[in-house]
Amino acid sequence: MESSQPTPPVELILRAQRGEPDAQRELILAYQHRVAGFVYAIIGRSDSIEDIAQLIFIKMVRAIDRLQAPAQFESWLFRLARNTCIDHLRRQKLRRIFLPFAPEHENVPEPSGAVGSEELDALRHALEQLRPQDRALLALVQEGRSHAEIAVTLRSSVAAVKARLHRAREHLREHYQSPHEN
Amino acid sequence: MKTETRAWAQLQRHASAQLRPGFADRVVRAARAGAEAVPSLLSIFTLSAATAALCLLAVTLFNTSSRDTGESDFNLAGWQQIAADSEEFAVNL
Repeated sequence: MESSQPTPPVELILRAQRGEPDAQRELILAYQHRVAGFVYAIIGRSDSIEDIAQLIFIKMVRAIDRLQAPAQFESWLFRLARNTCIDHLRRQKLRRIFLPFAPEHENVPEPSGAVGSEELDALRHALEQLRPQDRALLALVQEGRSHAEIAVTLRSSVAAVKARLHRAREHLREHYQSPHEN
Repeated sequence: MKTETRAWAQLQRHASAQLRPGFADRVVRAARAGAEAVPSLLSIFTLSAATAALCLLAVTLFNTSSRDTGESDFNLAGWQQIAADSEEFAVNL
């Protein structure tokens, strides 16, 4: 999930801010796969990826004119993505209070092996055991964000990010059982 | 390549594969269609102001009518007291 794509030119972001559909489309094309991976790491369900990714990019298109520093576009986009995913999970939790569905009824986990290899299953299982905020943190690191960038994204300090990341990695390691180790 | 790193790469590939072709075009269309459907700030403000004015009018009317009723009851009681006093005075004469 490491980011290998270059940051889009500021000119493209400025054009998107002016409301040019072609520029907005190019931005979506540049980020859609990374955002999809990011969403999956946090939400953990394949069938929600496209819907949530669509919501994130719609928010991006509507709010991009309010982005004051185009150079910080990526941090801004991933903050938007993180908040959208966490809101989605929060809404799901809230809905369970009012609807007579148990979590296991509406959030049926994808069966093992249905989404790929054993390695991916093991990672998905380990991620499920973490808090959504910690999943988002690990996904941001996988995205290739530096500690300083994550601190900007989460509006936190670098020291706090390092401490939280250390704990999240420890938890992931506790739950991650590589198929080759079994 | 570490197993965990490979798993993250698979997660990324799997997630990417969930986006149907034409995703970007659909998003741009949905964003623009939604933006047109969103009411303007002026219309939201006008509607809020009209609602607030109606509520204020309703509260004022209710308050006035209930105060009038209260005043009438108070006056009636006063007159009844005067009438009773007059009758008592006439009887005593």
